[in-house]
Amino acid sequence: MNEERLRADLVLEYPFTRTTGPVIGAFMTGLREGIIIGIRRADGTVVVPPLEYDPTSADPLTELVTVGQAGVVESWTWVDPPREQSPWQQPHGLALIHLDGADTPLLHGVLVNSADAMSTGMRVVAKFRAEREGHISDIEGFVPEESVQ
Amino acid sequence: MSKNNCAVVGVGQTKYQTTRGDVSMAGLVREAAYRALEDAEMSWSDIDAVVIGKAPDFFEGVMMPEIYLAEALGCAGKPILRVHTAGSVGGSTALVATSLIQAGIHERVLTLGFEKQSESNATWALSLPQPFSVSINAGAGGYFSPIIRQYMIESAAPELIGCMVAFKDRQHALRNPYAHLHQHDLTFDQVVEAPMLWEPIRYSETCPSSDGACAMVLGSESVGDASSKPVAWVQGTSMRSEANTFPGRNEVNPRASRECADDVFSQAGITDRRREIDVVEMYVPFSWYEPMWLESLGFAEIGEGWKMVEEGATHIDGGDLPVNCSGGVLSTNPIGASGMIRFAEAALQVRQMAGEHQVDGVQRSLGHAYGGGAQYFAMWILGDTKP
Repeated sequence: MNEERLRADLVLEYPFTRTTGPVIGAFMTGLREGIIIGIRRADGTVVVPPLEYDPTSADPLTELVTVGQAGVVESWTWVDPPREQSPWQQPHGLALIHLDGADTPLLHGVLVNSADAMSTGMRVVAKFRAEREGHISDIEGFVPEESVQ
Repeated sequence: MSKNNCAVVGVGQTKYQTTRGDVSMAGLVREAAYRALEDAEMSWSDIDAVVIGKAPDFFEGVMMPEIYLAEALGCAGKPILRVHTAGSVGGSTALVATSLIQAGIHERVLTLGFEKQSESNATWALSLPQPFSVSINAGAGGYFSPIIRQYMIESAAPELIGCMVAFKDRQHALRNPYAHLHQHDLTFDQVVEAPMLWEPIRYSETCPSSDGACAMVLGSESVGDASSKPVAWVQGTSMRSEANTFPGRNEVNPRASRECADDVFSQAGITDRRREIDVVEMYVPFSWYEPMWLESLGFAEIGEGWKMVEEGATHIDGGDLPVNCSGGVLSTNPIGASGMIRFAEAALQVRQMAGEHQVDGVQRSLGHAYGGGAQYFAMWILGDTKP
């Protein structure tokens, strides 16, 4: 086998913009204001983050709902070491968090020092950044609820 | 080989414009799809499958957007199929949807093409360097201008033919409420005096950059028969491709284009193309492609296409073969939808539902799309009777 291989760097880079529309836009604006917004389906359940169209009936969804900033870890994994492009540079939890008032879990980081501090069923609360721009990273991560009481 | 009949029973379009800042990508496709369903007098639950097309994913930077868009298109639990053939994709997408009906797999298929060019930069996206291959870094205009120059030399066409096409299509667009460009006060002199962008292509001879979506509902023979509105029956479909560079390639009149045309006209049983087709929607992103495609499609002899333009044969007023009565790609270009718009406008003409840009008494129309370096071709012929 020929061990010599052709190699070339290829960097593709140009900017994109995104039009978020009335529903995703409301979620982003909510984050900037320090609140978490979901949307109510016809059966009364609340989806977070909100969807523009119902995943089963295809009906447009319009009833925005503010949900709680704390909730229960439904499932989790421990990330160590984080990859270079991870939003978190320290080892951290990555969890599906069932927020109070929501019926679907939200995926986000849990900022604790070791996997020993993680457990299914633990209550966590969102830690918002002081300066927010309308982006999912406006939530720095979730921390154990007891640590802020 | 027998095929089941297929009919266009619904058409829906968004208003095309530079930026649809009020809707997400999902909201944009939803609008066109919903209007197509309304036209077809159907609801989401009537649809068996969705076939969707758009230009390459890096145009907007959303990878495999069909997955995220499935909910907006009422497609949960149903098949959704994505088609990729560069600029011709809107046409190819409609043809893949047609084949699902013709094969008897589905009764009602929603097909849709879209682009949200405001979220991207198509010129950069079309100029990406590729390792180990030549990059001309030219964008579409730079790529096509030498080919157009070649046509001008070979055909000895007068220099202002391209301007005549551009002026005609912008006039046509004034009759189409969905068209992006509505240049009410445009004069021919302004078209001629516009800055030269990629010599010999003037700025006025190029297409705009648009946001928009176009959708159709296709149905089986029984669905077409049951429609309360006129439907357009598919009488022929064809797709062809070739590489964009190879020794001896005819870039002005690609073999894939000629063979695609021969195939689609033969399926429709058409021998005198100019007489038997009543109206054409062809893919003309740069003005000179109208005479070039008139020749390649066999509506004119080689080297004579420009004469049809000069004589006004392709004008909606008085022309015997009106071309791009909607205003064409020169007036509206959401890239991934542009081919679908050609196909849908061909259907509206046969259904006598094109409004102010309707040509009287249309019985048969041709929808045409091309893409890449004029290397991917998709065409269909529609009629007011079953094939």
